Amino acid sequence: MTEPKKPPQIRRSYPAVYEKLIPLALGLIAIATIIAILFALAVALRLLPGIVP
Amino acid sequence: MKILFTIIPFVSSLVSFIFALFVFKRYLARRRPHLLLWGIGMVMYGIGGFCEGYYGAFGWNPLIFRLWYLFGAMLVAAWLGQGTAYLLVRRKWAHILMALLGVASLYGAFQMFGAQLDPAAMGSSLHTGSELSGKAIVSGGVRTLTPFFNLYGTILLVGGAAYSAWIFWRKRILLHRVIGNVLIATGALLPAFGGSFSRLGISGALYITELLGAILLFVGFLQATTPVAPNDQESPGRNPSS
Repeated sequence: MTEPKKPPQIRRSYPAVYEKLIPLALGLIAIATIIAILFALAVALRLLPGIVP
Repeated sequence: MKILFTIIPFVSSLVSFIFALFVFKRYLARRRPHLLLWGIGMVMYGIGGFCEGYYGAFGWNPLIFRLWYLFGAMLVAAWLGQGTAYLLVRRKWAHILMALLGVASLYGAFQMFGAQLDPAAMGSSLHTGSELSGKAIVSGGVRTLTPFFNLYGTILLVGGAAYSAWIFWRKRILLHRVIGNVLIATGALLPAFGGSFSRLGISGALYITELLGAILLFVGFLQATTPVAPNDQESPGRNPSS
């Protein structure tokens, strides 16, 4: 006895260039945001010599 | 150098005010609070750019400096970020955050307009003296506020745009909004880095990144809010997967 065949699932996708570029861009944005926040915190807490808020 | 310290900030200001008009027009049609706050934020961005250009063209003016620091350095990111708060968090919490930001902004304005200034201090630091710099504020208690406003604004504006882009990307819907939000996040990050470069003594970085930031924010907003045809909206292609 065979199981009833499932209909093929449809997976949406963007054009190939966006499939690659968007996660790359979001990853870079995340890294850049962390760097910017750490720098701002370091300045605010006067951890960097010679650089004051 | 005239281009760098005068024309570029004036162009940033112009782009920001035009962008603000677009946002206010959309606000009048839709009456959504995030649009009102983004519009106010872009007016602040424009005031900041105008003051930088004014300083480059005509030199020191205490009122121009105070307006620049208050709107262009202290409040702009936080007010733009507050707009994103209205999009992403519950309305009740957004109102509470708005009230806190309003009180903090009034306190910042009070401190800024009461502060003692010394324009000579701008040239005796890592800053070149050609750019406006918070170093001119002699009184304590003003500049320490600024990083907290900027952290709040950057986290909400950049984080909110990146989060929205991620949600749409995961569902593979509304590609124009993904692209728009990526541009908005990038545009919001650029001036933050420009400010950091300026603190490290890289002349002109702030003004250039402010211009690029204003352009990217504007293009990102237009991209994210431009309606697309229903067929294009969901997905340009569908890949059957096994």
